[in-house]
Parts: sequence; structure tokens; C-alpha cells
Amino acid sequence: MQEATFLILTALADGSQHGYGIITEVAQISGGRVRLRAGTLYTALDRLRADKLIEVDREEIVEGRLRRYYRLTPSGITVLSAEAARLHANATVALKRLRLAGGMAT
Amino acid sequence: MSYSPELERGYRRLLACYPRSFRRENADEIIGVLLATAAEDQRRVGPAESADLIRGALRMRLRPPGRPPGAVLGAMRLMCAGAVASVALLITMVVTTGDLKSAILALDPAFTAAQWHGVLVELAVREWCAPLVVFVWLWLAWANGRGRNWARLALGAWFIFLVLNTLSSLAQGVALVAPADFAVGVVECLIAATATSLVFTRRSWLYYQPEPVRY
Repeated sequence: MQEATFLILTALADGSQHGYGIITEVAQISGGRVRLRAGTLYTALDRLRADKLIEVDREEIVEGRLRRYYRLTPSGITVLSAEAARLHANATVALKRLRLAGGMAT
Repeated sequence: MSYSPELERGYRRLLACYPRSFRRENADEIIGVLLATAAEDQRRVGPAESADLIRGALRMRLRPPGRPPGAVLGAMRLMCAGAVASVALLITMVVTTGDLKSAILALDPAFTAAQWHGVLVELAVREWCAPLVVFVWLWLAWANGRGRNWARLALGAWFIFLVLNTLSSLAQGVALVAPADFAVGVVECLIAATATSLVFTRRSWLYYQPEPVRY
């Protein structure tokens, strides 16, 4: 899974978000390292909807413009959980090995 | 931010590159996000925003409907890289036209103005053909992504054409007078060779020739 996809799914993990909300959440989660642009975001959202990992939660009209909220589907929660567990396991092994090699200060 | 109709028009022009069905469903929402993320007093679409929207549109249009094997996906990426290489070749040709004349004169001091005119005509033809070459790369990526069997044969034919074109350039001495053009041509050949080999792997074969439906 690409990092942008992982971060988008993570942004939706604790509740539904609209497009601009996802962009700000992703920037916050990544510590400002990943700044999604609209073209990248909506291409990813369209693919994630096609794969049934996310779905539209609700729609609102704000200042005359459509605002669509997205949420994870049960399948999206499963995929995100599996990916998070995989990354966590890899990071744990990497940290353990670094500690054994004396490559980390703590 | 302060609202700018000019900026919204610019965004809508770029969104016109997306498939119609996608636009119908998402254009207003995307415009809202683009305007929300635009800088204060921004009046024109920035180059990075334009590149992002065009890249998104290309992805939407080239995205295969099913799930192609990794080899076919890799071949599609290479064909997109081929399109980028063609754009690079066009830019190189335009930028190095001045250097080309001095390189030719260094090799052949008796080179006449009439001969140079012939070279310029040939360059102009190649520059006009460059968008067509980009289109061929993207069209091949699109058709191969959809598992059209003729598309991989067309890709093989395209590879042969590129090799012959590069050999012809070599025979004309392009490698000596315009090494950058020649290098990009060779890169295109290598891209086409690798992509062709990927679409003819065993796993790709199943994608292009699915099991016939039995009744």
C-alpha cells in the first residue's frame, strides 16, 4: 500500500471527513511531511471507493458548494488494520535490531 | 481566501481533462477543495497544481477496469515513462537547435545554408510529430491496461519502429552532432523493449487471453 493511501485511510479511521478535512488530517498525521493536492486526493478516493474500502457517509451544501463526507467501510477497516499491523511489526523488528547493534541512543 | 472567478475558471479548464462521468460526480466538490487550499489572493492556477490535476486526469483515464498482473502494470508505467521521454526529447530538440548548427559545422565546414535549411525542415517535422508520439505511448498504455490482445502486438511493432528510427539516426550521424537527442531515442527503445517483454510474460498472457466462457 502506498503511503498516501495509508494516510488517507488513517485520516478516516476515527470518523468521516470531507476532502479538505482529509488533506489537513493527512498533513497533521505525517507531521507536515505529506501535503496532498486535490488531484492526487480525488484520484485516490475514486480508487478506494471502487475497491470498496471507503464510502460516502453524507453530503452537505456549504456556501453553495457540495461537501461530501467519506468513511471507512468494514473492508477498509480490515485492510487498514492489517497494513498498520504489518508496518508495526516491521518497525518493531527494525528497532530491536538497531538496539542489538547499538545503533540507537535509547 | 478571497474568491476569484478567474481561478475557478482555470481549475474547471484543467478538470475538463478528467473523464466525463468522474467530472459529473466530483467536479464541484474538487473545485471547493481547490479553492479552499488556494493561497490568499491567488488568481491563477499554479504549475504544481496544474501538474497534479493533469497527472490525476491521466491516471483516471489510463486506469484499467480490472486488476492486471504486476507485469502489465509495470509495462503501463513504462509506457507512461516513454511518453515523458518523448516530451523530454521534444524539449531537447527545441533547446539544442542552436548547438546543432555549430556541431554540424565543426564536423563539416563545407555545410551549406541550403543543407542547413533541410536539417531545419527535418527538425520541424520531428517536433510536430512529437505530440503524436506521446499520444501513441499513452494510447498503448491505455489499451494494454484493458487487456486488448492487439495492443501488445502493437507495442511490439512500436518497439521495432523505434529501433529502426534510432538506427536510421545513427546512420545519419545524429549521435555525433546531437548526442542528447540520440540518447533519449535509445532510452525510448529500452523502455519499449522492457515493456514489450513484460506484456509477453506467462502471467500477462492469461490477462490478455482469458479462459473462454463455456456454456
